[in-house]
Amino acid sequence: MYKKRNMLDGLAKGFTYLGALTATFFLGIILYFIMANGLGRFNLALLTSDYHAQYFNGRPLRFEACETCERPDDLSDDILYAPQYGLGLSDTRDRGGNTVIQVTYMHPDSPLHNLVNTNNLNQPVTIAIDTVITRISYTDHPTSLTRRGAASMISDLESGATIYEVSFSTVGGGIRGSLITTLILIGLTLAMVMPLGIATAIYLCELAPINRVTSTLRSLIETLTGVPSIIYGLLGISVFVPLTIRLNLTRGPSLIAGAMTLTVILLPVVIRTTEEALKTIPKDYRLASLALGANTTQTVGKVVLPNAIPGIMTAVFLAIGRIIGESAALIFVLGTAVKDQVRIQENSTSLAVHIWSMMTDEPANIELSSTIALLILIVVLILNIGVKLTVHQLKRKTG
Amino acid sequence: MHTQTDTPLPTKLPNIKASSKNRRIQDTLIKGLLLAIALLSASFIILIAVFVTTRGIIPFITDNNQLGRVDVVGFLTGRVWLGGATFISTAYGAGYLIVNTLYVVFLSLLVSFPVGVLTALFIAKIAPAALSHAMRTIVELLASIPSIVYGLVAAGVFLPWIHSLARAMGTQSSGGNSTFAVVIVLAMMSLPTITAVSEVAIRSVDKNLEHASLALGASPTQTHFKVVLAAAKSGIFAGAILAVGRALGEATAVSLVAGSSRSGPNLGLFDITATITSTMLEGMKETSGIDYDIRFSLGVLLMAVILITNFLLNFIKRKVGKIHV
Amino acid sequence: MENKPIFTIDNLTVTYGQTVALENINLTVNRHAVTALIGPSGCGKSTFIRCLNRMNDLIPDCHVDGCICLGDEPCHHEDYDVISLRKRVGMVFQKPNPFPMTIFDNVAYGPRCQGIKNKAVLRDIVENALKQAALHDEVKDRLDTSALELSGGQQQRLCIARALAMEPEVLLMDEPTSALDPIATQKIENLISDLKKRYSIIIVTHSMQQAARISDYTAFFYMGKLIEYGKTDLIFSLPKHKQTEDYITGRFG
Repeated sequence: MYKKRNMLDGLAKGFTYLGALTATFFLGIILYFIMANGLGRFNLALLTSDYHAQYFNGRPLRFEACETCERPDDLSDDILYAPQYGLGLSDTRDRGGNTVIQVTYMHPDSPLHNLVNTNNLNQPVTIAIDTVITRISYTDHPTSLTRRGAASMISDLESGATIYEVSFSTVGGGIRGSLITTLILIGLTLAMVMPLGIATAIYLCELAPINRVTSTLRSLIETLTGVPSIIYGLLGISVFVPLTIRLNLTRGPSLIAGAMTLTVILLPVVIRTTEEALKTIPKDYRLASLALGANTTQTVGKVVLPNAIPGIMTAVFLAIGRIIGESAALIFVLGTAVKDQVRIQENSTSLAVHIWSMMTDEPANIELSSTIALLILIVVLILNIGVKLTVHQLKRKTG
Repeated sequence: MHTQTDTPLPTKLPNIKASSKNRRIQDTLIKGLLLAIALLSASFIILIAVFVTTRGIIPFITDNNQLGRVDVVGFLTGRVWLGGATFISTAYGAGYLIVNTLYVVFLSLLVSFPVGVLTALFIAKIAPAALSHAMRTIVELLASIPSIVYGLVAAGVFLPWIHSLARAMGTQSSGGNSTFAVVIVLAMMSLPTITAVSEVAIRSVDKNLEHASLALGASPTQTHFKVVLAAAKSGIFAGAILAVGRALGEATAVSLVAGSSRSGPNLGLFDITATITSTMLEGMKETSGIDYDIRFSLGVLLMAVILITNFLLNFIKRKVGKIHV
Repeated sequence: MENKPIFTIDNLTVTYGQTVALENINLTVNRHAVTALIGPSGCGKSTFIRCLNRMNDLIPDCHVDGCICLGDEPCHHEDYDVISLRKRVGMVFQKPNPFPMTIFDNVAYGPRCQGIKNKAVLRDIVENALKQAALHDEVKDRLDTSALELSGGQQQRLCIARALAMEPEVLLMDEPTSALDPIATQKIENLISDLKKRYSIIIVTHSMQQAARISDYTAFFYMGKLIEYGKTDLIFSLPKHKQTEDYITGRFG
């Protein structure tokens, strides 16, 4: 009989291990997928470059081959090199996954440094490392095209032909715009939600009389936590977007309206976290301050608030995490068009909305999405550690 | 705590009265300001209710620029949604969306509830200390991952899997976009909520109950499953209710794997589906007209579904809480 | 058999980390009698009673030395199955702690854990246990209602019934009436006097009067040591030790 019971116990225990394993599997699959697809493209250039590629047509002013541009000895074998133009090319894939020919080396004396814009001969344009070459046409030779590959383009260049025009583009696929948008959103939102949230928390926790009005206020604020973020998006387009238009700040969805919407989303979080911090402050502090002849304002400003700073820091961390991750509400209020030049009175995308925008495109850009997701996860992880540290500090302080 | 200490104290400071008066004014001003801000904070929920509702009922009470009035009953029971393509007012039937939404959330709970509760029991009672700590960190990480990342991973990993699975089972799937995919992504997202709330509930069970069970010759595992879970029941249920509320309102992750079905209900696991939220995220280009306003109607519908579900679940919770089975 | 002691304790020493909770206890507990353990708070009497069904195993840094025999078997042994020990030695706690289940399920809990599934058998066990605990008449019509709806005294008798359903040889009671009012206490005391015909009862109590009223033997603990042990009337009329006398006359401290 004991054997049977031990078996049943073992089985039941096994189920809990299975449950935990499932949870671990979920996290593992998320991390693995994001790392596998995102880590390869994760670099600084991604964060600082534009999403939309810029296209140029340039032509050399003088038609002369380079005398001094010999292949450097230390140049990697992967790079195909045309000594006449001092140009090194490679077949690569862009951030969208398409095969392209990219400039991987340029000799300092290369004549291709000095091109002029075909459409405006007074405007100089330049080819640099990482530039994508889409087409080279010659005065005395058939045009070289991307789809024939870098080797073919090099052999065309080496045939002694004279370049008429080079079509090239920047790489694109960077996330600078979305990154800046996210940072601006964080700044604007915190600037609005922290004062509002802290003031409300102070009122509810320190000043409000205990009566029905106060409890109604509390439950109204508490109700906000149960509202799904997509409904906040509706609030944004029905209230904040028209409001900012009416105030002549904007002409449609904008970062300002986005930050206002995020402010409402975060209010209950900030209020609750701040209130919890205020509650941990011993009553004696307040009484001592009041007994010394300070009024309520002074007591709150000089005794209560400074002691609540770790709790308020926690609120800031939580708020930043939520802003970075928020997508549904911002899709409505911010729009889904990725921008490189960000202005707070115009639409743009945050990092999370950028992912949504690319994932709903045909075809979905999973690689770049994963790269952004990786960035988001890293920031969220750092914020989590930040919250833990402040909570830890708070615990140590209050014993 | 609210006592004013503005009565002049017996002191020799010369201008105590003037200073006291200034401070009283300062106090009143600041209190007034804080009250005003608190009122503002509390007003947003009312703002949401009023604005979303007033916009949401426009399609039902106006003729929508000669397109015709949308019939409320048709909206609530309809089985076809043709927004964007053909601007006819009879083409907005959200009945199947309600069914789909409740269906996928229910199925996801079938996965996340047992897994979440077992994981919570594992963390709180069964795992050795180090493993328990590691598991709690894992659950916290899962909780902090934004929904868009869940959606991305589901689209990148599960859609191909489901597509192959459907083919292996001899059916078709639209690139994996399906009820199945939505259920998995919602289950993943609900799991940390259920686990965290259940763990707290399990931990707060009176130690005396456990001792009583052990003293009766029950094994620790029997105690955990029969007594601890029974005692933590109402907390665990509260976690499930919270998770259901969130799953009903989840939008972006669902929209990436649902497949935007235009008619339904879609009950087949490998069929494409659409929920209230995923439909709200569609056709973002319009900025006015019925296709724009109807999104608010869906918003009102979503809030109603969430409120009613919440109410029913809490009702059941109270019933279940009374009868100890 | 009848005269053999139910528990024989030799050289029992219990430590919690560095703290010594019980030191060198030697004691034999008699069958079919009520043995009361008295002494001031923290004297080790609760620790002692928890050794008898090895509830101390649950405390991580608790260390038990010496020998405890249930009948003839040393039961504080690695090889002795703790679950079968607890089947033979039931326990009732200070605060009534019914499970959040129906009355029936509470009483049937122990047998069910032993794998008894037959409904008729369970019903007999439950009815029998409730009758023994003098609770049957009060609850027989509402066995399917929650145990938490009972009064405190009823809950405690339910806990006794729950322990009796296992048909133990010994019933350990850790201050079973300290959370109850006088009338409920009275009922439990009457119950204990009835139960000693079938069970050996060891009861921890704070109340000297209670010990005097219901017990046949009394053990006085002080500072982790067993000071005096003997027939209750002797201990209360002719205590051998000064400390015992001081304690039972209330001159302690």
